[in-house]
Amino acid sequence: MGASAEILFGGLFQGSLYAMMAVGLALVWTTIGVFNFSHGVFMMLGAYLAWQFVDIGLPLPVVLPLAVVAMAAIGWLLQASVVRPLIGRPNIVLVVVITTLAAASLIENGVLELWGPRSKQIPPLLEGNTTIGGVGVSMHQIAIIVITPVILAALWLFLNRTRLGLALRAVAQNEDASLLVGLNVTALYGLAFAIAAALAALAGIFLGGYRFMSPVMGADPLLKALIVVVFGGISSISGPIFAAYLIGFFEAASNYYFGLYWTPALLFAVLILTLMVRPEGMFARSSRSLA
Amino acid sequence: MTRPIGTPGRASWKEEAVGMVLGFAVLALLPFLFTDAYSRHVLIMVFIYAVVASNWDLSLGYGGVFNFGHLALFGIGVYAYGLLTKLMGLDPWLALVASGILATAAAILVTIPILRLKGIYIILVTFGFAQLVMQVILSQSDYTGGTQGMVRIPGLYWFDHNMVRDGKFAYFFLALGLLAASTVFLRVFVRSRIGAGIVALRDNEEYAIARGISLVRQRMITLAASAFFTGMAGAFYAAYQRNASIDVFGMSLATIILSMVLLGGTSTIYGAIIASFVLTVFAELMADFGAWRPIITALLIIVVMLAYPTGLAGLIRAGWAATAGRLRRTAPAARPAETT
Repeated sequence: MGASAEILFGGLFQGSLYAMMAVGLALVWTTIGVFNFSHGVFMMLGAYLAWQFVDIGLPLPVVLPLAVVAMAAIGWLLQASVVRPLIGRPNIVLVVVITTLAAASLIENGVLELWGPRSKQIPPLLEGNTTIGGVGVSMHQIAIIVITPVILAALWLFLNRTRLGLALRAVAQNEDASLLVGLNVTALYGLAFAIAAALAALAGIFLGGYRFMSPVMGADPLLKALIVVVFGGISSISGPIFAAYLIGFFEAASNYYFGLYWTPALLFAVLILTLMVRPEGMFARSSRSLA
Repeated sequence: MTRPIGTPGRASWKEEAVGMVLGFAVLALLPFLFTDAYSRHVLIMVFIYAVVASNWDLSLGYGGVFNFGHLALFGIGVYAYGLLTKLMGLDPWLALVASGILATAAAILVTIPILRLKGIYIILVTFGFAQLVMQVILSQSDYTGGTQGMVRIPGLYWFDHNMVRDGKFAYFFLALGLLAASTVFLRVFVRSRIGAGIVALRDNEEYAIARGISLVRQRMITLAASAFFTGMAGAFYAAYQRNASIDVFGMSLATIILSMVLLGGTSTIYGAIIASFVLTVFAELMADFGAWRPIITALLIIVVMLAYPTGLAGLIRAGWAATAGRLRRTAPAARPAETT
């Protein structure tokens, strides 16, 4: 019982964080067709902003929306400065990799300069601990496990039931046609980045209430989100979500049975094998076959 | 519109050979100008980075293969040299060549899973390959020293010459020789039929395949060709620094080298070399700025990429065209991917 409960909680918790990160990454990827390497620092910056707001004495219920909205604005700004000017260039994928990497380095070092290298922590969403199935878990973790599906469901509703969400998906599917029917594609690009940054910030605040924060805290979640997105495929928003939880469980199980050390290598080995068999991702409808 | 061979943007064999000889002759004079060990050290690092970056340009720029495991090939070179010389007592020069061969073998191995993949998926698999290599090195800490790294790796030798007390004179010329060999190889490669085939695959995969170019073979050749000198550069780096550390697999080094490739301008080889020089010297000049250094460097990269999408090579080419009064009908920036 102990082992399975531990894997269950670990998987749900990690899966929640990965899902929050991966969905934003996939959103940007599908709408704009670029990979945003600043996604990890979005998470970190969101956590640091929240810490700063808590530090000046604001209560957590105020801090949470404030930090998320601030990050959405920063995400939009970043898109406007390092992604939008490059749209339409033939080598945009490669150039955006380097501009977002550079932006990530900029923000990371800026945070280090501004807030210093000392580890920080945000107060948890809920205080206290409890024991379920013989495993001690914090209320904070349980809160995250419960809240994340709600947020993801809200995002799904937004993308599938609202005009704005449908417009966003239309741009992802066919940009030229979207332009023809009069959608403001540039603004929608900004919106995709803003939503992604907001979700990343939320993930950062969740993680910051659980572990110590550092300017490089976003690097590992970014890597995992990349894995999740490729593993799950990007044809729908549910692909990365399923994949996030699957990888969360895989990681928890591997940590338990093989140890922390071998988990990343094992994860990548499984992934490379998956891609060899299904290049378009586990949960994607079969796409155009590759040469 | 077809462009006849030997047209604008493509220098003839002779012109290029003369230019290359002149360029390397100027570089060879530098140690007589800079006699202190520190300046020479900076130049040696420039040459090592230039080899790694220009070879990356082969797979990334010409091949269009987003190989994010390139630095792992460099790392394999570093550790192969360290293990071969220190544990197996192999002659340093033999180990240098063996490291290049091992990196090539590793590149062929990593090509197998990416043969069916495209674009962003290749990034993940090659990135995963780099992580795997790093984990293997970390886990074999009895041999590799794990996170501690390897120290006291034997250096290279040159007859009876004292490599340590010559103000890095000998290492400078060895590094320059490595860069020269690598550059000649790369330029001959990209100007050859195989090079043309690789570019054709990048620009129009379906058409190239229809014309009988084998994607599998070309992709393997591209990655293998980009690996040999990268592995040698890794081995040279280990011999020069006399230690090996796991940092070579880190994101920060990969970012720096990648920005050299893109800042220089892809598909030029020379661009990556020039950018290695500019970025390394720039970073050294700004040593006083401390923590602000990476911030300024990042800003510089963004500004250059936004203003000059073809990188420094495009900037130089545009400047050359303007000063020489050879403004062509189409501006360099407006042309599609360079195939010089």
